[in-house]
Amino acid sequence: MPPPPCALCTTNRAAIVRPKDHSKLCKSCFITVFETEIHHTITSNNLFHRGERIAIGASGGKDSTVLASVLKTLNERYDYGVELTLLSIDEGIKGYRDDSLETVKRNATQYSMPLTILGYAELYGWTMDQVVSQVGKKGNCTYCGVFRRQALDRGAARLGIQHVVTGHNADDVAETVLMNLLRADLPRLSRTTSIITSTPSTSDTTNIQRSKPLKYAYEKEIVLYAHHKGLDYFSTECIYSPEAFRGSARALIKNLERVRPSAILDIVRSGEDMAALCGPAPAHAADDGGGGCGRTESSDIGGAVAPGLEVEITSATVQKRGKKGGVAYVAPRQGKGQVMGKCEVCGYLSSQRVCKACVLLEGLRKGRARRGVEIEGGEGG
Amino acid sequence: MPGKHLDEDQLCARCGDNVSVLTVRSEPLCRDCFLRYVHTKVIKRMESFRVRNAASDRPRKVLVPVSFGVSSVSLLHILDHHLKTQLAKTGRTGFDIVVAFVDSSAIETSPDPELRASLRDRYINHECQLLPLASIFDTDAGSTILGEYIPNMDSVEPSNPEEKLAALINSLDSATARADVQSTLRTRLLVQHAKSMDCEAILWGDSTTRLAEKTLSETAKGRGFSLPWVTGDGDSPLGITYHFPMRDLLKKELVSYAAMTDPPLTELIHSRVVTQSSTSSKNTTIDELMAQYFDSVEENFPSIVSNVVRTAGKLSTPSISGSPCGLCGNLAQPGRFGIEGWGGTQQKDSSTSNTSNLCYGCTRSLPKS
Ligand SMILES: [Zn+2]
Ligand SMILES: [Zn+2]
Repeated sequence: MPPPPCALCTTNRAAIVRPKDHSKLCKSCFITVFETEIHHTITSNNLFHRGERIAIGASGGKDSTVLASVLKTLNERYDYGVELTLLSIDEGIKGYRDDSLETVKRNATQYSMPLTILGYAELYGWTMDQVVSQVGKKGNCTYCGVFRRQALDRGAARLGIQHVVTGHNADDVAETVLMNLLRADLPRLSRTTSIITSTPSTSDTTNIQRSKPLKYAYEKEIVLYAHHKGLDYFSTECIYSPEAFRGSARALIKNLERVRPSAILDIVRSGEDMAALCGPAPAHAADDGGGGCGRTESSDIGGAVAPGLEVEITSATVQKRGKKGGVAYVAPRQGKGQVMGKCEVCGYLSSQRVCKACVLLEGLRKGRARRGVEIEGGEGG
Repeated sequence: MPGKHLDEDQLCARCGDNVSVLTVRSEPLCRDCFLRYVHTKVIKRMESFRVRNAASDRPRKVLVPVSFGVSSVSLLHILDHHLKTQLAKTGRTGFDIVVAFVDSSAIETSPDPELRASLRDRYINHECQLLPLASIFDTDAGSTILGEYIPNMDSVEPSNPEEKLAALINSLDSATARADVQSTLRTRLLVQHAKSMDCEAILWGDSTTRLAEKTLSETAKGRGFSLPWVTGDGDSPLGITYHFPMRDLLKKELVSYAAMTDPPLTELIHSRVVTQSSTSSKNTTIDELMAQYFDSVEENFPSIVSNVVRTAGKLSTPSISGSPCGLCGNLAQPGRFGIEGWGGTQQKDSSTSNTSNLCYGCTRSLPKS
């Protein structure tokens, strides 16, 4: 039996069963629909404004590669008038980033976009390999997540760019919704479901805005899109794999998707609705996942919460932004009456005296000093 | 872990006299202290139903739905015991119980009718009623559902409510949708019945584990907005008060409890068999996936189970300004069918023709027609 005609154009033969709703589409209609939905996400949320410079957080993985490709296409097709640039972070994981950064470099050529690569070594004095040799493989994702988050913001600030887009997809957001329910972290649930967040940067005058144009795109469709467009991406998972518990949430989502294809977006929708029931948005720990191992912030799901860095922009302020053309900023507040201030060490916005990254760095330095002493002592005896 | 037997000579951490029979939240307990622990957890949540709060002329009535699962049977047993204690101490009770069973044998395998007979015999003091699920169509809410959402109902003779129910359920395209609509109808029937019996509240049997399952389940079904109503104590948009007196007990604790009462409750419990193959097939329901998930979570990370319930409990109740959903009755913005519900397409941009008086979650279950 020949394949049925495409449900949209009714002319071509269907070649793809769309993961989102199982509709049968031809290749070109799938690509159009996929791009159009992202365009809709961008326009209905007023994500961009003309003349804006935007840094794409690029890991070389499928999500950020598809994001770069789609944004380039849409920017040209719909004349957004934005200036796109690629921003990559080199965590310093041998054999992981080496290859993926090569991919990003090729992407830069393929999409004719400028590329900036910033290393953890350069920003923090530690590569992830050095961190792992210090703290072990358990819990290193905490470091990677905290460092990476600041790294993108610092990188953008260096480039004088105020807006970073990341490749978080619907599966990531759904996973975060479930994870935050499992760890009883309502404030973070509220923030991670929002499509735009604002991250105060190291400078007093600039805030870095973060947004997720792929928030409603399925991981499976991203893979299909990359495949059918013949995109060049790097597909190795981080070698320092995340905690088992997050894996179980991911597996649950895959099972849910199998039972009901809409479940991923239904979870995202629930997350958005629940965010509206969380009261005013406090500033808090940022863990909106991200390509590769950056998904994991804390392996302590029992409730330990890292001090926060990002501030949610509510829909009201988003609208304000749309009207005035500037970036609105919600005054940072902390849950228990704490006031957001600046980190005494690095100046990054923090609810604590010293920000999370600097606390981790201090721990690493002490660990290195202590270990150094032990080794010397051992050699001496 | 309850049910795990320990070294014979380990003493109960509470009374210090008896040998412990299980470990509950890292405390070894003897049988008596464990039974007391379970009762206390439940009765503590029943403060508002003390004898002194009851008017002397008119008894307060509450509905206790029994599904023959371990939680609802245990709840009935504990409440029955509690009322006997109140009566012995004060000569009267703080409230009366109306027991209700929903018979859904028209559309699924139901508990053996003999279970009902045994339960009635054992709790003879309480009014018990059997409600056929199809009788939802005799109510106002039910006739609306029938009129609007059952496709091709004209071809079915209106005389037989069971056939209508089967037609509705069979028109749904997935096991998840069928289970979802069925449980929604069950809830609405019980609420309707509670009102007609002059009950002021429904006491649901949900354990911590069950509430955690429900929280993730409703989230996955797109009804995150309804969590404060469907998992919290308080007024439901359906016009009656909900209480969840078992919310501080884990399912595994109730399983141990049911085996330890004298005589055990085990013989009154209908255990649903979930086979491994059914959990991996497309016919699994979202509820079943969540139950399976929390079985392993309860085993390996028990604190996570209460985390989930705690999170749901921190949500504030939605402002009562939406209109009631035609199926589940929760107050919500109307949902839109299919892909348009996600706001992800521009093909038929924001047309209002596709809206409904259903909430987002219910548009996922009921067919677009
Ligand atoms: Zn700092
Ligand atoms: Zn509904």
